[in-house]
Order: sequence, then structure tokens, then C-alpha cells
Amino acid sequence: MSADKSAEKIETKNTETASAGKASNGNSSSDTLFYLILVVTLLLTDVVLSFYYYRNQSGFDMRWILAALDISTILSVMGLAGKRVGHFLTSMKLAMTMLFVIAILSIIGTWLPQGEAVLESGWVKNPLYDVYRTLGLFNVYQSRWFLAILYLLAFNLSFCIFKRLPTTYRHTLKPRVDVKEKFIVNQPLASVVDGAGEKGMGIARQSLSGMRYRIRPGQTGSVMAEKGRYSGIASIAFHLSFLLIGIGAMLGAVFGFDETVEIREGQTVDVRGTNLKATNYDFQIKYTDVMEEGRSTGSMPTKYSTDLEVFSDGQSLERKVITVNGPLRISTYNPVLTFLASLKVNFHQASYYQSDRGIVSVLQVNQGPGKSLIYLGFFLMMGGICFSLYFPHRRIWLKVSDSDQLLVGGRTNRAKVTFQRDFERLTSELRVKMGQEDKAHG
Amino acid sequence: MGNIFSHDLLTRYEEILFIVAVISYLVCSGIFIWYLISRNEKAAQLGTILLTMGLVAHTVALALRWGTSGHAPMSNTYESLSLFGWGIVLFFLIAQRFYPIRAAGALVVPTAFLITSVAGVFYQGPDIPLAPALQSIWLWIHVTIAMLSYGLFALAFGAGFLYIIQENLLKKNYKGVVTAFTLLFAALGLVLGLWIGSMLAEPVTVQDPITRTVGNDYSFSDYFRIFGGGFIGLVVLLGLGYFAGRGASKRSFSNILPSLDVLDEVSYRGVAFGFPLLTIGIVTGAIWADQAWGRWWGWDPKETWSFITWLFYGGYLHTRLTMGWRGKHSAILAVVGLIVVLITYLGVNFFFSGLHSYATG
Ligand code: HEM
Repeated sequence: MSADKSAEKIETKNTETASAGKASNGNSSSDTLFYLILVVTLLLTDVVLSFYYYRNQSGFDMRWILAALDISTILSVMGLAGKRVGHFLTSMKLAMTMLFVIAILSIIGTWLPQGEAVLESGWVKNPLYDVYRTLGLFNVYQSRWFLAILYLLAFNLSFCIFKRLPTTYRHTLKPRVDVKEKFIVNQPLASVVDGAGEKGMGIARQSLSGMRYRIRPGQTGSVMAEKGRYSGIASIAFHLSFLLIGIGAMLGAVFGFDETVEIREGQTVDVRGTNLKATNYDFQIKYTDVMEEGRSTGSMPTKYSTDLEVFSDGQSLERKVITVNGPLRISTYNPVLTFLASLKVNFHQASYYQSDRGIVSVLQVNQGPGKSLIYLGFFLMMGGICFSLYFPHRRIWLKVSDSDQLLVGGRTNRAKVTFQRDFERLTSELRVKMGQEDKAHG
Repeated sequence: MGNIFSHDLLTRYEEILFIVAVISYLVCSGIFIWYLISRNEKAAQLGTILLTMGLVAHTVALALRWGTSGHAPMSNTYESLSLFGWGIVLFFLIAQRFYPIRAAGALVVPTAFLITSVAGVFYQGPDIPLAPALQSIWLWIHVTIAMLSYGLFALAFGAGFLYIIQENLLKKNYKGVVTAFTLLFAALGLVLGLWIGSMLAEPVTVQDPITRTVGNDYSFSDYFRIFGGGFIGLVVLLGLGYFAGRGASKRSFSNILPSLDVLDEVSYRGVAFGFPLLTIGIVTGAIWADQAWGRWWGWDPKETWSFITWLFYGGYLHTRLTMGWRGKHSAILAVVGLIVVLITYLGVNFFFSGLHSYATG
């Protein structure tokens, strides 16, 4: 019930802001001019950059920038055509559609072979192979249009978060403590206890603090009790975390690198994409017996490590024995990204294989300039969702009317039945202690 | 040796306790189904007590496994399925303390029995060493929490399914009841059959000469086992579902089931409690991958499907909160959700191979 109402509220708010903003049919001429300039600028940039990108397939991954230009161009064309872009971007319908679309595209990505795997699959011989490849279906998650959809989701999310901020701010920091009697009686859950008076108020307050509600007495005799006040902020933190992780991923894709490096024992190799060299002094494997019913039935490698030293311009930077889950992290100076100065390059022990000239250690060497944002996002995501779902916002208002009735009313944003139980416990305690029947409403 | 705490004896205790737990789930399945038919409150009480004892035995078995193997119980099919079943029973016992849903035991407990007995089929001793990549604390947080979230989604599914049944019963739409039972059983039969078939298949492990990724090469007889298993599972459970549906198509059956409000709330709370756990599970998995390979997300099939599962339940919560969906629509989503979970958990290992495929053996 309460959620139905809030859903309605979101919808009606949308239409209000939209119609208040501008006349519902068509743009004013200044808007048209604005959108026209926007469309031309974006379109030109997009076309020129795309041309440049596809002509010289440089190592710099510009798809992220191109996809952003694509989606901005489309949105501004919509604006030029008289669509209410702001309205479109704040709609929950768009959000749901996007979630659905992304899920479907992800399924396609797990169904068709992705990346290099396609070259060894039967798909190469398929007559539609070139069409599929051009559509990016063999590289769904890095394709320009997939990224464009992610951008649309990110815009949608940012607009929604922005729109919700004032409401959440009010709910969290400016709670409505002083309310009218009518407000209480109109709550989704409401009850009136006749003749309870101030005595009933005392009992109710005690009962509510027993249920760990936080009591806030108002100026005009009404009292508000609440629980889970930070639920709304937590929800915003959770949604914000997608943006942080997205920005971090973008930084990583555009400015980071990820290379597979193979080194035999005693060999020194260049790490592509950096000015680093790495030496493998010693490679060790530890085997452990596989036991079944008390007997050894073979053995399995359970630990392998490379004694690795990393050099920059002939100077040793660091030496460490790296293991799986135990990488070497080196701070370097990357000339391209002077403004980010010290960025860590990580050397991970990935695997090894036997070649005819000895064991080759396979390392995964990478650098992720967005990692700190991503980890911040991870923790906001985990904390945000736990607080928002495990501690839902519950509010109960109390007031003694002129005719000595105790008015009780409350609402929650989720888990209605559970809240109802709190509410019933409160009213039944009141009833028992006051020794009388109450008139149930709602 | 004589030491009652020796490694081998502890392994034996674990085996025995696990078997005790599975047997108690079997007996409790019978009791809860009997409760549904007879509405004998004593039966439900007895079932709850026995189930709690079974859970205790199961808990000790898991703890022993942790001790003897030296890592959290999550490294092979036996351990992770056992944990999945444990989660289902645990959350059912918790839920029935707060909501009048003991009748749902007739659906939930047999599911737990099925899952744990399949775990038993794939029993593996504790002395299989862990591959190096799996030796990480993030990994066990990742798997344990993900399994617990699956347990909650299974609970949400059970309550959602009963919601659909109850609603049809109240409307006297017995055709709907039979259809729901048949469809559900057939789908479960297909998934389980495919999965068991794929476990019986013996694909040749091949390593790609260029990328050196390891994959499976299936022969014709392997496909025969896999799809044969799927077909047999489908047919057997389809028939079973039809008769179960016929049996349930009684008016008195509706009185035994919890009310629509309670079923809706339990289903919702299952998702609402499971979703944050799933989120933590996925994030800790990403952190683990970042520690091991320096790449936190690689769109491998398992990752992608867990992402899809996450989007799906995120969508479920959205439809409730912002579109006001309740009741039947939500129940259908909760039912479909478990199918998505099963694809993520079982299907991906079979259909695709990636970094994760060796994690569950
Ligand atoms: C464009 C994208 C999105 C928008 C605009 C959006 C918007 C919202 C809004 C307005 C709420 C209500 C917040 C509140 O009342 O506290 C909400 C809740 C929620 N959203 Fe989103 N969201 C988006 C994407 C997602 C995604 C991708 C997920 C995860 C799969 C997600 C999961 C949730 C969850 C779990 C809740 C809480 C539901 C509940 O409290 O019952 N959202 N979202």
C-alpha cells in the first residue's frame, strides 16, 4: 500500500516537473537553437573521431569516448525533435528497460563465443560471420553500442539520484515531527485508542523504545518514532556505486593495460606498453599428494612461484617471490599520465607451462588507474545495499487529541507485514495496559 | 593410532553425520508432506524438531570438513551443494519461526533433501588439494555468501510457488494448479537431468595451443548422456508433477496453505535478504579475481550469469518498490528467479568453460 502510493508519487512528480518546465508540445526557439548547436557539435566530433579511430587502429581505446558521443548525440537529436529529454532520463521505465536490455545482451554474450575464442569455433565458417562480427556480437561487452547503452543507464541513474536527493535529504535530516491529527489518521496503518490520553502516550513511548524505535517529541504535542533513518541515503550510496565503478572501469579501459608476459627461468624480457624489464631468477612448483581413502592417488601442483626482479632503465626497482594471489605491486611513473603520477603496476603469477627449453612462467602484468574508485564503489555497494534493505525506514506518529484519544499512525517503505507486526504489538500493548478496546482503522 | 581426533576418524564422523542429516531430511520430507495432508500440528512440531537435529548434524559435518580439509567447504561439487542444502534448511527453520509457513516445508524440505543427496552422490574426500588460485580468503567468503543467498532465493521461490497455487485454489482454478505443478516439476526435472547427465559424461580435457585455456571436448556418447539425462528427468518429473497437481486440486488443500499475504511477504523477504548477500558474493568474487589476476571483471560466463541473476533480482525489487508490483507478478518473478540461479550455478559449468569451471569441479 505505502509503496503503491510512493510509486504514484514518483509518476505524478515526473509529469508535474515536465509540464511546469515547458509547454508540452514543442520547444521554444531558444531551446531549438541550443539543441541544434549541440547536435551539430556532437555529431561532427563523433564523426571526425570515429574516422580517426578506425583509420589508425592505435592502442588507445577510444570506444569509450565514441560511445559517450554517440549517446549524447542521440539524446540531443531527441531534444531537437521536441522530446523531453530530462523527463525521458528521469523515468523509471527507462531504468527497467535498460536493466532488461543489458541482461538480454549479456546472455547473447555468453551464448556466442567472445574475443579470440571465436576464431577456433565453427562460427568462422558461418555465412553470416562477417555480419555478426561487424555488429560486434563476438565482442559484445566491448562493443560500441553496449558501451553506449551503459552510458544511457549511467545518465538515467545520475538524473534519478539527483532528483531524489532533496526528498532523501528531507526524510533523513528534516523529519516531520510536528504533524496534524488528520495526517496521523490518514497513514496506511492507523489506530485510535479512546480515552488513553497522556497515560497511553507514555505506555506507547515505552513500548516503542522497547522495539528500538528512536523517539522524537515535537513542539505541538505530537511524537514521532522512527527506525532505519539512513535507509534512503544507503540506497543512494548503492546506486551511486554503479557510477563510481563505471568511471573506474572506463579509466582502466582507456588508460590502463593488461599484458600476458612469459619468462623462462634466467630470462629477462621487456614488458610491452611500459619501459620495464622483468627477470625470472627461479621458478618453483610445490606438489601435494591427492589422497583418496588414505592412499595417495597422484599429485597436484598446489603452489608455484617466480623469483622476479623488475627493472626500469637498467635500475632495479624491486625483487619479490610472487605466487598466485601474491602479486608484486610496483609504483612507477607513467609519462602519459603525469597528473596521476604514481600508479601501481601489478605482476601476477597466472600460470606456467612446459616448453622444450624449460618451464615458462606466465605472468599477468597490468595497471588499473581506476582501481581506487572501483574499490570505493565496491564498499559503497555492499554497505549501501545492506543498510537499505536490512534496516528499512519505519515511522510511527503519536498524538493525544482534544477528546483524550490517542492517535497512532505509521508507514514504512518496504516489508509491510513485518512493520504491521510492530504496529500490532504497539496497539495490543496499549489495549492490554489501558484495559480497553480500540477502534482499528485502515 | 587410537586417537579419536585423528584425521581419518574425523573424516568418518563427517561422513556419518552428513548421512544422518540427509536421512533426517528425507524423513522430514515425509513428515511435512504428511502434515500437509493430515494437518496434524503434532506432525509439524515433530518435523521441525527432527529437521533442527538434522541441521545440527549437518552443521557439525560441515565444520569437520572445514577442519580436515583446512579450507572452507566450497571447493568441489559435494561441498558447495552441501552448503546450498544447509542454507535452505537454515533459512526455512528461521522463516517458520517468524511466519506461519510450516506447510511450505512440504516443498522446501524435499528440495533440500534432493540437493544434499545429489551432493552425496558426488562425495569427495577432504584430501583433494586446492588449486593455487583457490587459496584465497576472498574466495571462501565469495562462495559461502553466494550459497547462502541461493538458499534464500530458494525460500523465496518456494513461497512464491505456493502463492501461485494458493491463488488458483482460492479461485477454484484447478487447471491452473495442475499446470503450475506440472511446469515446475518438468523444469526442475530437465535441469537436474541435464546436470546429472553432464556429471556422468566423460569429456576429454583439451588445452588450447595458443591461449592455453583448458576446455572440454564432448563426444557423441557424452551428448547422449547429457540430453538423455535431461529427457528422462523431464519425463519422470513431468508425470510426478501432474499427479502432485491433481492431488493438490482440493479445496481443503487451500486451508492448509499459508495465507496469500504471508506467502507474498515471505517470498519478498527471501529476496530482500538474499539480494545484499548476492551483491556481497559478487563483489568479493571480483575482489578475489583482482587479487589473483589483476582483472576484477572479465565477463566470463559464470561472472556474466551471476550478473544477470543480480540484475534479475534487482529488477524484482524495483518492480515492487517503484511500480507497486505485488502478489502474483512478484511470485512469478521469484519462481523464474530460481531458474536463473540454477542456470548460473549448474548450467554454466556445463555449457561454458572459463576461469570458474574448475572451481566447482
Ligand atoms: C538507471 C538505473 C536505476 C535507477 C534509475 C534506479 C532507481 C531506483 C530508485 C528510485 C529506487 C528507490 C530507492 C528508495 O526508495 O530507497 C531504487 C531502489 C533499488 N534499486 Fe535501483 N535504480 C537503477 C538501477 C538499479 C540496478 C542496476 C540495481 C541492481 C541490480 C538496482 C537495485 C535496486 C535495489 C535493490 C533497490 C532497493 C529496492 C527496495 O528497497 O526494495 N537498481 N532504484
